[in-house]
Amino acid sequence: MTMISVENLSVTYGDLVALDDVSLDIDDGEFVTVVGPSGCGKTTLLRAIGGLESPTTGRVSVDGDTPEAAQSAARLGFVFQDHTLLPWKTALENITFLRKMAGKDPDPEGARDLLATTGLDGFEDARPSELSGGMKQRVAIARAIHLGADVLLMDEPFGELDEITRDEMGVEILRLWRENRKTVVFVTHSVPEAVFLADRCLVVSGTTPTAGATTDDGVGRIVGEFDIDLPRPRDESVFGSEAFGTQVARVRQALHGDE
Amino acid sequence: MSVASRVPFPDVVLPVSGLVAAVACWWGLTAVLALPPYVLPSPVAVGTRLAENPGLYLSNAVETLRKITIGGATGIATGFVLALVISEVSLLRRAIYPYLVAARVLPKIAIAPILLIYLGVGFGTAVLFVALIVFFPVVVGTAAGLNRAPDSHLDLLRSVDADPIRTFLSVRLPHALPDVFAGVKQSVTLAVVGAVVAEWILSNDGLGSLILVASENVQVDVMLASLAVLLPMGLLLYGGVSLCYRAVAWR
Repeated sequence: MTMISVENLSVTYGDLVALDDVSLDIDDGEFVTVVGPSGCGKTTLLRAIGGLESPTTGRVSVDGDTPEAAQSAARLGFVFQDHTLLPWKTALENITFLRKMAGKDPDPEGARDLLATTGLDGFEDARPSELSGGMKQRVAIARAIHLGADVLLMDEPFGELDEITRDEMGVEILRLWRENRKTVVFVTHSVPEAVFLADRCLVVSGTTPTAGATTDDGVGRIVGEFDIDLPRPRDESVFGSEAFGTQVARVRQALHGDE
Repeated sequence: MSVASRVPFPDVVLPVSGLVAAVACWWGLTAVLALPPYVLPSPVAVGTRLAENPGLYLSNAVETLRKITIGGATGIATGFVLALVISEVSLLRRAIYPYLVAARVLPKIAIAPILLIYLGVGFGTAVLFVALIVFFPVVVGTAAGLNRAPDSHLDLLRSVDADPIRTFLSVRLPHALPDVFAGVKQSVTLAVVGAVVAEWILSNDGLGSLILVASENVQVDVMLASLAVLLPMGLLLYGGVSLCYRAVAWR
């Protein structure tokens, strides 16, 4: 069943083309990664799906409805590169905060359980300043799950973490996805990360959009689409496998085009 | 362990000793040089002035305090509301914010004689003047603070369609508080200055007025006695605001 549908989506800011005529469908429960260099429009795509960016032309629907309707129903769980935790609230309060803002019934027990399953047992009352970068992103992910969102929209959530923590977080997000069965759209500029996580990996064109760019420059387009058939569940051992290496190479090739 | 914490005196001992030493020097100076009281009265003479007629200083202090609190509260409230409006209406912000910042350079004291022409001498004029002086740091500080919430935090709330009032109260206002209070702290100091200046030019009561009249009669002891009342009053107000900030702020 299709959860997210993007039809002929273009987003432009004046002369700047961020996305050019993008169409794609994402199934319920699917884990889709979007990989591309900085400024290629992948974040714009994610924000348009989440209703934070308005299409210039084309349309986006989430479970048959507009993104705005999905926002109102608290069906969208954003995780940003910046953890966006409120510094004056504890880890637990940060998790319950968004649900409260969305006007849903509080569920303090659920929040506590979730904190425990994300490996933050004992940190309920810690402030963000007392947590490591990885822990902060765990709280941010737990917050999106606790919201009860059906769709997780993740914008380079591990972008500011060191590589070792990053790999651990990858395994962690897959486990949470397995247990909670969300649809995930995950934007990254790391090819290995994109391959490791994905059911399907979308490659967004590598040309940086500049003023006056024409559509011929291949700006803000999906230039490659790969089904990643590595067996699940996946853990760190996947990184060493030959199949993984092959997939990464294929995606890299699409990313760099003719070079 | 810092050097300060290894000093074998509690925090109050040194400052209090400093004050006592300063007053002792003052006393010594007046005694040794046998200065006439119209040049520099001794601390004892100033203390005696206060003790002889505490009602005079108290009633004037109350008048000054009324101008500070009523004028201060009015200025702070107006500044806060205007900052709120310009942070919501970007057209207005772009039109007037630069002038609000620039107005900090303007010596507001120079406006007092103008107020005098339009409104005459009186309590209301003095209060208006204090409010005007207090207004600028609050509006500039608050407007800056209300912009402080990162876009990503606002995006997060937008992504769940949170209503604007909740967004304001739970994210934008807490992010703004340090700047709001920085403005209010500046305002408190300015309010005391403003009240005293207002009592020179715009009204006939209060400690400022008492100082002015004493100056005309070369009563230095009365002037110093008035200052001795004014100083702790200002300190208490400033301390009060700092305590409020500590109660609501995050680090």
